[in-house]
Amino acid sequence: MIPRSVRYLLSGISWPVYILLYTPLALVAYYSFAPAPNQMGHSLHAYGVLFHDAEVLTALQRSLLLAFFSATISTMLGTLLGYGLCRFRNRRAKGVLANIPSLIIYTPIIMPSLVFGISELIFFNFVHTYTGLLAAGLQTMIIAHITFQVPYVTLTVFARLAGLDPYLFDASHDLYADGIKSFIHLIIPVVQPAIIGGFLLGITLSIDDFTISFFTAGPGSVTLPIYIYSAIARKGITPEVNAIGTLMIGSIIALALIHFFITRHRERGSQFAARGNIT
Amino acid sequence: MSAAKTEVEYEAGRQRLRLLSTAGPGLGWIVLFLLVPSAVLLGIAFFSADDYGAPVLPLSVQPFQQVAGFSLLGWDSGNIVIFLRSLQQAGIATLVSAVLSYPLVFFILSRPASIRPLLLLFIVLPSWTNQVVRTYAWLELLGPDAPVTWIAHHLGIVPPYLGLAPGSFAVTTGLAYNYLPYMIVPLYASAEKLDWTLVEAGRDLYASGVKLFWHTVFPQTVPGLLSGVIFVAIPAFGDYIVPQLLGGDKALMIGSLIANQFTETPDWPYGAALTIIMLVLTGLGLIGFRILTKKIGGGEEAAI
Amino acid sequence: MTLPAAPPLTAARGAISLSGITRIFAGHIPAVDHIDLDIHAGEFFTLLGPSGCGKTTLLRMIAGFETPDAGRILISGREMQEVPAFKRAVNTVFQSYALFPHLNVEQNIGFGLKMQGVKTPERKKRVDAIMELMQIGQFATRSAAQLSGGQRQRVALARALVNEPEVVLLDEPLSALDAKLRAELQIELLRMQKRLGMTFIFVTHDQHEALVMSDRIAVMSKGKIQQVGPVLDVYEKPQNVFVAEFLGLSNIWPILSAQGQTAQTALGPLEVADVHLARLCAPPQAPEAVPPPTPGRLAMIRPEKIWIYNDAAAPTGRPNMFPGTIREAIYMGASTQYRIELHCGQFVLAYDTNNQAAERSWRPGENVAVELKPENIMLVEP
Repeated sequence: MIPRSVRYLLSGISWPVYILLYTPLALVAYYSFAPAPNQMGHSLHAYGVLFHDAEVLTALQRSLLLAFFSATISTMLGTLLGYGLCRFRNRRAKGVLANIPSLIIYTPIIMPSLVFGISELIFFNFVHTYTGLLAAGLQTMIIAHITFQVPYVTLTVFARLAGLDPYLFDASHDLYADGIKSFIHLIIPVVQPAIIGGFLLGITLSIDDFTISFFTAGPGSVTLPIYIYSAIARKGITPEVNAIGTLMIGSIIALALIHFFITRHRERGSQFAARGNIT
Repeated sequence: MSAAKTEVEYEAGRQRLRLLSTAGPGLGWIVLFLLVPSAVLLGIAFFSADDYGAPVLPLSVQPFQQVAGFSLLGWDSGNIVIFLRSLQQAGIATLVSAVLSYPLVFFILSRPASIRPLLLLFIVLPSWTNQVVRTYAWLELLGPDAPVTWIAHHLGIVPPYLGLAPGSFAVTTGLAYNYLPYMIVPLYASAEKLDWTLVEAGRDLYASGVKLFWHTVFPQTVPGLLSGVIFVAIPAFGDYIVPQLLGGDKALMIGSLIANQFTETPDWPYGAALTIIMLVLTGLGLIGFRILTKKIGGGEEAAI
Repeated sequence: MTLPAAPPLTAARGAISLSGITRIFAGHIPAVDHIDLDIHAGEFFTLLGPSGCGKTTLLRMIAGFETPDAGRILISGREMQEVPAFKRAVNTVFQSYALFPHLNVEQNIGFGLKMQGVKTPERKKRVDAIMELMQIGQFATRSAAQLSGGQRQRVALARALVNEPEVVLLDEPLSALDAKLRAELQIELLRMQKRLGMTFIFVTHDQHEALVMSDRIAVMSKGKIQQVGPVLDVYEKPQNVFVAEFLGLSNIWPILSAQGQTAQTALGPLEVADVHLARLCAPPQAPEAVPPPTPGRLAMIRPEKIWIYNDAAAPTGRPNMFPGTIREAIYMGASTQYRIELHCGQFVLAYDTNNQAAERSWRPGENVAVELKPENIMLVEP
């Protein structure tokens, strides 16, 4: 369908773009192997420094806690939400009222993350001023991260459910499974890939985020991205910063590839399509 | 029929209850922790600022006057320039990603179906790495000591002590890099559904490959292109981290300007007013594009 | 194709009795409108009608997926209003089969038993037995995605039958299959039903399928039952125009006025028999008296009951003999379909079988005479 000459042209443009996409990331990795001061060649010196830097290790721990807790809660909320919207929403209903759930779900996706972050900053500030609750810190970051992850998990679960034969639910009722049994023996196993995908997507989004974290963080809740940002502001790009960057890039790429090949093996890539559409 | 009515009502009520118990928590969470906060933010724009920049009564339109450039020192074009620069940066980044997306999308489509998901994944992957990391990574490539800068210097584009970053060029590059997948994914989705019989039919009609593309392929990809433009232009316009890390002082964008009002030199009402103006501009852009999409006949994206 | 010998007992295991069943979807005309219907235990009963006539909604209410807005459903003599789908001894074969994608064939079939708490050894025995019966044992560990359409249909049926339900509901289960496989499975389904003796309620829009398979048919339209009865009755003695036209082809003329047994129609005077001869019924039934033709009713005759004669050789002195010209002849293998323009300007559709007894066939343009024998003319309601 595409002439041979055009194919060559497309390859000639595309491969360099692919290379360009990974060049900056590769450079981060390259510079992370900088030698120790007053030495030549390459070394793992920066990594050594890193693993003895208590501040970095705490930041890493916080990032992982943040990612894990926010993804767990948003997976629960998003799974229920996607399930509810798919199963119990009156599809015949029209008008503004019927569209409210969609509007709510799409708001966190559409809203620029800066506006998102600042809104949360002010809101938590007010709540804290008047009630003493929700002091800026890991808890406010978790809340904010849950908020932007829920729609993505919802869409992933919803896409999976909407792609199913709607009569499956009837079939399970027909075969003597009540609501709870249906949920355990039909819904959970069938939606499981989407739930896992949604959870991993939540983790990815959490680790990806800087802007919202930055505005909802407190003085004692420096996560890795915030640490990197302030380290760059303070001392510029050091081999240590590059080492952190390399580990972050490496782990997210590894996570994505593992997930991709597992789901592809099982689902022939349909899961990826759902992710690709919304990311 | 009254008995029938009540049964219908009961069933509708049960359905509402099920919907509420499943969808309620998630929707409630978003409303409480995003819609309410953003309403608060927007409300703040109509207050005066105290000495610490916090909102106080009386209500005032002063923040908006500040946005327009009026201050105690008279009128200043700074804000207008920043808005225009943001528009320009977002516009160029959108254009660059659109231009790059076409060859990439059709390159992927020209490969065997089995490896297409993987090729697409490798486009999307960089955008899953952390915002700060993938943005500062460009400093390594474009900074004062970097190889690209060295080449640019020898070609006489930049003076030796300055890199390509920080600066406008780096911001545009960073934005295009960050949001390229947002253009490619919707474009790929519409190109995948391309009706190739139309292209075959056009082969006799149009002499050159360019004309053939323009008259048969391009119109079919317009819906994907338009959603891609929205997905790139809106976040690029209000981006914070890219201009912050790659822009420097000369390439200040609206995002940094807003953020400054809440961090370095607090003035919440002014920052909130800036946010409103930014959202209004974004909204106008969205509506404009929606009208355009409808006119061109682009399909709605599959949605909840 | 005989009626079940036992008298219809609404309390028998597998018998269904519907009274006043109504279902209205919000803001719409009733999907099912005051339906009264008794389905006998052990019969193969078909709900036949065009799409949107309410047949599937009615089936879904029997299954318990939908709640009637009014009316009562009795299954095996028990009230079903408060009984949810998962407690009804009724199993469904869905149009899409709705096989669980996360389970293999064996697990799909065993799902219902597992949910009922049947222990593994017993469950395995029953699943194996039904797979044996349906000849799908070799697919036991395959997933639904790896099966062909016909195999899926068998698995779906096995999944319903293994529970030994009182009633099996089938919602257009053959519509996704190609014609040949469909014909095979029709016979297989029928054989299975006769063997197991369960009540089968079969929903279809395919009149041919309904004729082949059913003991009795209910023809539905616009949420109402137009006619219920044994297949033969419904085909031979349709009560109204809808049934006549939906089930088979027919020629219909409104009766303008009537005098005795002579009806005035667009064809001219039409002689109508005063008794109905149920000639095809076994055992032969006594002639049934039918009311005389009246204006407002319609005269109907099936195309295969029209005699065609060579114009010159047409017998004389018989009623309802109309001269005409062949306008169209469509050879269909076993028979030929003719469209004949009568001299009065009306068109008639007629079939002539292509067996050895057939005298000859006609070509377009030939002049013929058609005979509409009075005993073959049925009077139907509008």
